[in-house]
Order: sequence, then C-alpha cells, then structure tokens
Amino acid sequence: MSDDEEQYNPAAHKKLLQAIGNLGNVQHIRKSTRDERQPQQDEFQLFKSAKSTQHAPKAVGLNDLVQILRTSKHIETGKKLKNVHSTKKVLEKPLEKPAADRIKRTIGYEGVKKKLGRWDAVVAKQRSAETQIFPKPTETIYVNTAAHAKALQTSIKSDLGKELEASNKKLRELRKAQIGDNTDEKALAQQEREMLQKKMTRDELYARRRELAYLKMRESQKSAKARMQNKIKSKKYHKLQKRQKILEQMKEFELLQKTNPEAALEKLDALEKSRVMERASLRHKNTGTWAKNLQVRAKYDKDVRKDLAEQLAVSRQLTEKKLDTDSEDEKATKKMDPNEQEDYDPMNPWMKSKSAAQAAPQQSAEEESNWRKYWTERNENEKLLAEHCAEIKEVEKQQKVQKAKKQSLEKPIKKKKKPKAVVENGWLVEEVETPVKVKSIDEIFEQHDENIHDRISKKLAKLRKQAEKLKEPTKKSKKPKKERDELKNLKDLTFKKTKQRVEIDEPLNQEEITPKLAAQTAGDLTKSDEKPTETTQTAVTAIDPKNVTTITWKQTMRSSDAMNNALAEDDAAEYDEADAAAERQLTISQAFEDDDIIADFNKDKTKDSELKNTELQLAMPGWGSWAGAGISQKVINRRNKRLLLKLAAPEKRRDDNKDNLYINETTSKQARGHMVSSIPFPFKSLADYEASIRAPIGRNFVPETAFRMLTRPAIITRKGQVIEPMDESELLKPERRLRHIVDRRIKRLQEADKAK
Amino acid sequence: MKVKMISRNPDNYVRETKLQQHKVPRNYDPALHPLEGAREYVRALNATKLDRVFAKPFVCNLSGHRDGVACFGKHPKLLSTLATGAYDGEVRIWDLANRTSVRSFVAHDGYVRGIAYARNGERLFTVGDDKTIKVWSSQAPDVGQEEEPVNTILSRHILHGISHNRKDNSFATCGEVCAIWDEKHNDPIKTLKWGVDTLHTISYNPVETNVLACCASDRSIILYDQREAQPLRKVVLTMKSNKLAWNPMEAFNFTVANEDCNLYTFDTRKLRTPLKVHFDHVSAVTDVDYAPTGQEFVSASYDKTVRIYNAHQSHSRDIYHTKRMQHVVCVAWSLDNRYIFSGSDEMNVRMWKANASEKLGIIRPRERANFNYQEALKEKYAAHPQIKRIARHRQVPRHVLNAQRKMRMVKDKELVKEANVRKHSKKGKVPFVSEKKKHVLREDV
Repeated sequence: MSDDEEQYNPAAHKKLLQAIGNLGNVQHIRKSTRDERQPQQDEFQLFKSAKSTQHAPKAVGLNDLVQILRTSKHIETGKKLKNVHSTKKVLEKPLEKPAADRIKRTIGYEGVKKKLGRWDAVVAKQRSAETQIFPKPTETIYVNTAAHAKALQTSIKSDLGKELEASNKKLRELRKAQIGDNTDEKALAQQEREMLQKKMTRDELYARRRELAYLKMRESQKSAKARMQNKIKSKKYHKLQKRQKILEQMKEFELLQKTNPEAALEKLDALEKSRVMERASLRHKNTGTWAKNLQVRAKYDKDVRKDLAEQLAVSRQLTEKKLDTDSEDEKATKKMDPNEQEDYDPMNPWMKSKSAAQAAPQQSAEEESNWRKYWTERNENEKLLAEHCAEIKEVEKQQKVQKAKKQSLEKPIKKKKKPKAVVENGWLVEEVETPVKVKSIDEIFEQHDENIHDRISKKLAKLRKQAEKLKEPTKKSKKPKKERDELKNLKDLTFKKTKQRVEIDEPLNQEEITPKLAAQTAGDLTKSDEKPTETTQTAVTAIDPKNVTTITWKQTMRSSDAMNNALAEDDAAEYDEADAAAERQLTISQAFEDDDIIADFNKDKTKDSELKNTELQLAMPGWGSWAGAGISQKVINRRNKRLLLKLAAPEKRRDDNKDNLYINETTSKQARGHMVSSIPFPFKSLADYEASIRAPIGRNFVPETAFRMLTRPAIITRKGQVIEPMDESELLKPERRLRHIVDRRIKRLQEADKAK
Repeated sequence: MKVKMISRNPDNYVRETKLQQHKVPRNYDPALHPLEGAREYVRALNATKLDRVFAKPFVCNLSGHRDGVACFGKHPKLLSTLATGAYDGEVRIWDLANRTSVRSFVAHDGYVRGIAYARNGERLFTVGDDKTIKVWSSQAPDVGQEEEPVNTILSRHILHGISHNRKDNSFATCGEVCAIWDEKHNDPIKTLKWGVDTLHTISYNPVETNVLACCASDRSIILYDQREAQPLRKVVLTMKSNKLAWNPMEAFNFTVANEDCNLYTFDTRKLRTPLKVHFDHVSAVTDVDYAPTGQEFVSASYDKTVRIYNAHQSHSRDIYHTKRMQHVVCVAWSLDNRYIFSGSDEMNVRMWKANASEKLGIIRPRERANFNYQEALKEKYAAHPQIKRIARHRQVPRHVLNAQRKMRMVKDKELVKEANVRKHSKKGKVPFVSEKKKHVLREDV
C-alpha cells in the first residue's frame, strides 16, 4: 500500500477512473425518479444519468476491469482478479417455487414413508399372531415409592454375605496384630504393580529401535520391489508369471472341488469371468506395437508370418463362443481316445506326458510346476528313443544304419501327424520329426499351456453342467421384475399363519324386515339362494361329508402329539429317499390298474349290498359279563344269538339288473345341504381344509389343556380397560414374559417343534 | 342270593371343594368317539343359531340434544365419558355408565364442527362455524357457576375439524387451511396449504404422531407432516371423502369414508391403489372409526345404517339399524373395544354392542370357556353352507334392499356395457381395470 501511495500519480489515476467510467459508454436517457431533493427539474422529466454505469444494461464485466488494469501498472491485481473470477463458482439460480415445493414435498414424503416402514415387522408379527391380547402388555416398571416401602435392592451381595465379608476382614487384621506383622498391604500391592510394570533399560530401547528400523526398511524394500515388478516389460517374464498363476488357480480349484464344491463353483465363475474379460479386451489381435512392427517384416520373413498367424489363431480361440468350443473339446476328446490307442508311441514325449497326466492328474500338476523335472524326463525319453531305434535296426536289418533309422522314424510319425494336429491346434508336429533336436523353452511352455487349457475347458464344461442343474430351480423361483413395490418389506416379513382360519368375505344375506318372519319355516330359509362367492377359489371340489363327519382317527393328526409328528416325519424322510423310484414305477402300474372298470363297478355294487344286508351284532364286549372272565363259551354264544339283530329280508338294489348303472343309495338329499361345495379361502388344497375340519376341539374329544389351547380366541380384550394405540416401545420390545399358563404351554410346544 | 353291586371309592368322584371341577375319567381314544365330527358340527350349528338369537346389539339411546348430532369426542382415559356436539352449537358430556347427560352447554353459534380431548383428557377443544376454537375444562363447573370456556381462540380462517396429537400438546385444525396449534399459544404454529379451498376433516396418526391427513373438497386426501413446511402428498379419488380414520395398530394404514358408498383402506406408502375397497353401503358414507384393536372399523352412512367391517375384508360383517334412526352422521368405537356409538340426524346418540350377541355383565370362567368353544366351533365350520347362511343372515330395511337392488342393476349394466365394448373393439384396447384402480384418479406430488 505504502508503495502505491508513494508512486501516486493523480493524472494516471484520473485516467484510469475515466476509462472505468467510460466502459458503458452508451448514453441512456431515462425518466428521472424523484428520490431526493433537487433544485432543478427537467421539463421532460428525462435525464441522462451521470452514473449510468451502475444502471447500464451492459454491466461492467470483470474482464473489462482486468483489461484496464493490465494497461496500468496494476498488472498483478488484474491477474489476481482474473484468477478469482475463473476459480470461483457462481451459485446457480434457485428453482422456481412450484418445482422447489414439489421437491420438498417429495423429500418429506420419502421421510414419512421411511418412518412408517419401521412398523412393518411389528405389524407383520401382529397379523400372523394366533392370539392378540389387548391392551398391549407394557414394559413399564412400577416402583413403590411410598415411605414405608422396602428399599429397592440394588446390590447383588446378600446381607449375610456382606456381614461375612466384614467379619473376615476383621479376623485377618486381628491375626496380623497377633503375629506382630505391621506391613501395609496397600504399599505391598503398589510395589507389586511396579515390579510388573518394569521400565525398559537403555539397551533394550536401542534394540527395540533397531528392530523397528529393520522392519521399516523391509517394508520399503518390498514396496519398491513390487513397484519394480509392475514395471517389468519382459514378455517372457509375464508369460511365466501368468502360467504360474493359472497353475496355482488350477490347484486351488481342484482342491476346492474336493472339499467345497460350492466354493469351487464360485471359483469357476471367477475363472469364467476372467476369460470373458480377456475376450472382451481382445488382446492377441495383431494390433499391438509388436504385431505392427512384425507386419512390416512379414513380407520378407517366413517366421514372422508364422508368428503373426499364431497370434491370430490365439485371438480366434479366445473370442470363440465358449459353448461351441466346449462341444468341440468333447468331440476332440472322443476322437482322441481311439487315436491314443492307435498311435501311442513311447517315443513321443507329449503323448507320454498326456497319458501320465490322465493316470495321475495330481502328479502331473506337480510335474507342471516343476519344469526342471520335466526336462530330466525328456532326456530319459531320448534314451528310450535311442533304444527303440536300435530295435528297429535289428528287425529291419538294413545296411546303412543311420539312414534306415531316420526313414523308419519318419513313417510312423507322419502317420500320426494329422490326428495330432486335430487334437492340439496351434501345435506344429514338425518338431517331433527331429526329437533329438532340443526345442526352445517357449514351445515347451506353450505345449503345457495348451494341456492346461484343455483340462480347464473340460473341467469347466463339467462344472457348467452342474451349475446349470443348480441354477434351474432358482430360475423358476424368480419372478419377472415388476415396478418397485412399496409394501415389499411388509410382504417379505409376513409369516405364514400357523392356524388358518376360514375367511368369509361376502355380502350379508340380507332380507327385508317383514312381520311374517316368524311364520317362515326353515324350509323357506334354505331356499334363499346364496350368492356365489366373490373370493377367488382355486379349486372346486366336492367334499364328501363322510370324510368330514365320520373319521378314522390317526394319531399323527393330533397336533399336540409332538412325538408322533416327529416319528412320522422321520418315516417320511426315509421313504422319500429310498422309495422314490419304486413309487414312480407304482404310479405307472396304478395307471393301468383300473382297466377292467366294469368289473370294478360290479364289485362296488355287491359290496354295497353286502354291507347293507349284514346282520348287526348288538353284543358289546364286557356287557353282561359283570363277574369277569371265565364264562362258558356256550352261555356267551347263546347270549350273542339273542343279541343278534336280524334285519328284514334283503332288499333288492335299485340298480340290480342294470349293468351299467350305479345308484348310490347311501347318499341323502338332506345331507347334501350341509356339505361344503368348494374349498373356502384361504385354503388351497382339499387336504388342508379337511385336516382343519377333521381334528375335534371339544372337551369330550381332546384333553382339557388341548381344549383350552384350541379354543383360544383370536383377540382377547379386558373389560373396562382402555386400549392405547400402538406405542413406539413396541419397536424395541424384548420378548415379553408370558404370564398366562396357556401362552407358556404354547410357547414351549413351539420351541420343541423348532428344536426338531 | 348273590347281590351284584358296584362299589366305588368316593375319593374318585367327590370334590374336595365346591370350586373344584368334576374329575371326569375320560377315554379320548378316537375309536370310541365315532361321531365326534358330527357332534361338533351340530354344536357349531346350534352355537350359530344361538348367536343369532342373542344378537341384540342395541344397548341404549341417549336423548337430550335438541338438534342433530354432528360430532363425537372420545375421552382418551375414561371409558364412560363421551362428548357430543350438535348442529345448534350445543355440546353435551355423557356419563355412559348411567346413561345420563352430565353437562351441556352451548359452545358455538351454528354447528359444532369438531370435538377433541387433550391427550390427558383434562381439556376439551371444540371448533364451530363461528371461526373459534374453544377450550373447555373437563371438570364441570361448581353449582351456581356458569359454563365458560377456559380459552377462546379466534381463527382467521373457517374451521371444519379438529384433531389432537396423542403424544404432545399440539393440535391441528382444518378449514381453509390446515393449521397446527400449540395448546399454549393463540396463534397457529404453522399453516399448511395446498391450493384447496376447503378441508373437511383432519386426523392425526395415533402411532406416528407427526403425520396427519385431511380430506379436501376437491375429492382429495392430503397427507401432512407437522414438522414439514409443506404438505406431503395428495391423492385424488373419484368422489369426495367425508371422513378419515387411521388404524391405531398399523401405523401406515388409514380408511376413508367416501361419498360413493364405499370405504377405501390405503397404505400411506402406496397411495396409487387402495389396499381394500369396502362395499355394501347404499348411500354416502359419512363417518368411520377404527376399533382400538385395529382389526375392525365401523362406518356410518346416509342410508341410516351402521356397518362393521373387518379391516382386511371388503364386505361388512354386520349391519346395525333401527326403525327410528335417521341419517347417521357420526360414529365412534369405544376404547375398550366393546361398544359403538352412533349419532344421527334425529338428535339421538345410540350405543351399540360391538359384538351383537355378546353377553354383558360378569362372565364366569366356565362360561367364558364355553363361549370360547362356541366361537371356535363357529369359526371352524364357518364355510359350511348352513352355518354360513344362518350366521350371515340379516334383516334390513326395505329402502336399503331396494337401493341395493338398484345399485346392483346399475353395476351389472355397466359391466355388460363394458363387455360389449370390449367385444367389439380391437383386442387390448379396452383393458380390464381392477375395482381398486377405478376409484383413484391420480396421485399428486
């Protein structure tokens, strides 16, 4: 500032001000606003504002100012201003009011929705509850604060315990005094603590520091190494690295497959994914710099051309659709088997390694990891080859040993050339022709790589099949996605009701009030037609009243009998496992069982009439034998004869001489009116509904406790108590301690069920 | 001669005290009870018949008002207290146990539009056509003293309804605007407006007490949050909603009584389609109130009947009416889930049993067990045609039947017409629209 003041040049300053003033140099003539007193008023009420720059339509931009400043000596300030202008963000114009309000409303509604969503679990639980008790038992603790009330016990120690402690302490002190021991216990304790918290010596500190330093150095070394490794450009290195990785993955995968097939599946997915990624990235195309460089030379160099072709082949292999390759692989393997038998050659190192791999895949995995071992094996093979050559030599007995050997070698090898090429695409068999020649390490790697690929693809195929099998049920369960359902949470949380109740949701049978009502007979009432139910009924099946009313009791049906249920379930499980196949066969035989329908028909008829015409024995066991057992059989027979109810002469059936007709004589029209004609909502199967009807609930048929449990009302309220609305404490409520004995019994049963 | 005699040990059959139940040695082997199903069925049939025999829901009639009853106020703590407001501005406090009117005073000029008790029941808020909110003490004035409001608040807008927050000291009124008030201030804390001229009724959510809802004259239902500066959402139905009641046990559900003879239960989070449409009324539904258990609600209608619905079913389970009851204007369900109150045009307040055939008075445990058994049987055999017929048989006034017949005819005609149109138009052009979706026009954000 002081510098500025020193160099203050009034003329320059004025010029600057003028320049600023002239920025908006348009002349504006406006109506004058009489906002302050003025001595003169223009007659046209117009004036040219002197400070028109303020009100100019073209406001002074920051750039203008900067321009001016640049010309003057305040270049720095201008730059600063420019910087400020470019870095600062201008606040956006606020939204229009309706739009802003709409956003506010949406946000508010979302909040409320979320708040209300908290109640989903509570409501779902309440809806599925078999019995609801109102008012809701609260968790409020009432404490008697009256003066005479006993103080609240807060200590865990009992009075007796405290007394005992005090007396023990006293006793100890007394004993000490007797001995003459006057050491302070507190001081001792302090000493002990200090001993434990011993200070470090100087050497120890040094050692520790050194250790820390070493650790730090190691860490930095490692990080540096990692960084370096990332920068390595050598192709070979990366190739090796990659192979190693693949091998490791293979091993892991095999292990997983044995131990944890699910995890293996996941792993498989991951592998697949990586393959897909590679496919997507489309490496191995001849577009890299390496390939481009080679392309230049390709015209003149045969080897280069070959390399490029190989590269393209690889890319083709990668970009192929997987399914196709699989099928090809399978075909290939199938083809390979006879080939292998045909031209299995001990001389061929590849074949041997393959057979070995097939015999012991684990071993081979180890081999693959150990290249050196492979090389030693190869050398052995060469020896074998030499022996083989010698044999051939003897058999053919040719003069020129060396030539013959070469020729003999050529022939069998050429034979297997083609199948070989089929099996392992990309592998040139030329090298095998001259097995003695040491192959480049790259080729060997490639060969192994291919082997690995082969095996991986096979495994993948196998596992894919498994995966598909696993996936099928999940696909079925998945429904097509709909728009977002707000009540999804509530629906998800709903439990299946343990006790289904019939819900009748149809209009009341309304009838006009008439004085003649009393005269109406029951017969008239039955006439009043019932409207068809509006609820969706899945299946309409007639229910036989016999099934409903007369029951062959099964112990397993008794809901209270947990033991029997368990046994039945066990049986069922065994049955499921063992006899599923047998059952399938049975169903087929059953299907053809009823071929002779007419005979069946007649059988039914005769059975019916037999039933109808049997004599009834009215004697009951124990009746009349008051003195107990040991009554002579004669007496019994006599009595039984007396008690035999003889019926009238057998009636003829109404359909007796009508072969193709069966008239059911046991049904009654009266009973029909009492029968349920369709399965009521919410039941879904006839079996379910029948089961709900079958079990009796009366005192006469079930024990008292079961009776109480079965007849528990759905809602229990207490007279004279206000039922408060749902409280927030319900959200965090711990499970309520059940007071009612029936509740507790039910809970115990449920827990027993769960334990099974 | 040998005398055969049965001798038994009296210990086996004589009770030690008279409170002890008789020990009945019983064999539950089902083989010995071949007719148990049939017996239970007959018992269920008898229970159903008895249920209808004893179905006498009408408890008493509270007369005293000199004009039609307009609104009710339930005391949140006392079951025997009910406040009613009439068209002539009179408010009466009833002692339900003695069936007498304890207090009566003229609170407003013109209609009493709404009554609400404060959350502890010590104060009573009334709103009327004279644009005032008056606060009254629950205690009757001493003998010789006149009835005077504790406080009178002049409102700038017309008032149509009032509702008190269940958990704090705020209450809300509706009319031209929805206003949130504090008990201690004479000016509203907040006014919420959303381009509607009249809001008929307002109701606080009893569980999530910050949420409230209004029914407006533009056929819409508007949701508010008393903490927000803006209303939350609006859903427009085909016709005007007269009253709104929140489910006290399911925080997100509410039911509206609509002018088109139906009631609609909504989930607050999904206003586009109602959860349930409740049919059966034959004229505009004027009022609705939930049972404190949240399982059922009662509705009053212009067709002079009161109906009781299960909250999750679309048809009523019961219908109450008497010869002299005229258009029912307001209805309330008592907080102990036992009684229903209905106020109608002909100046009477009626008290009904919520469960028509319930026995009043003391019920001994054994009696209770028997009732429970009967209920269980009725439920078990509910789908059997005879039992269903008897249980759902009701006598209704002729005008209701006629109206019903007419409505059915109209509906059938519409269905036939729609089917015909569908038959003669391009496939998929006339879509099937579910009954639920027909009644909601749009949801405004």
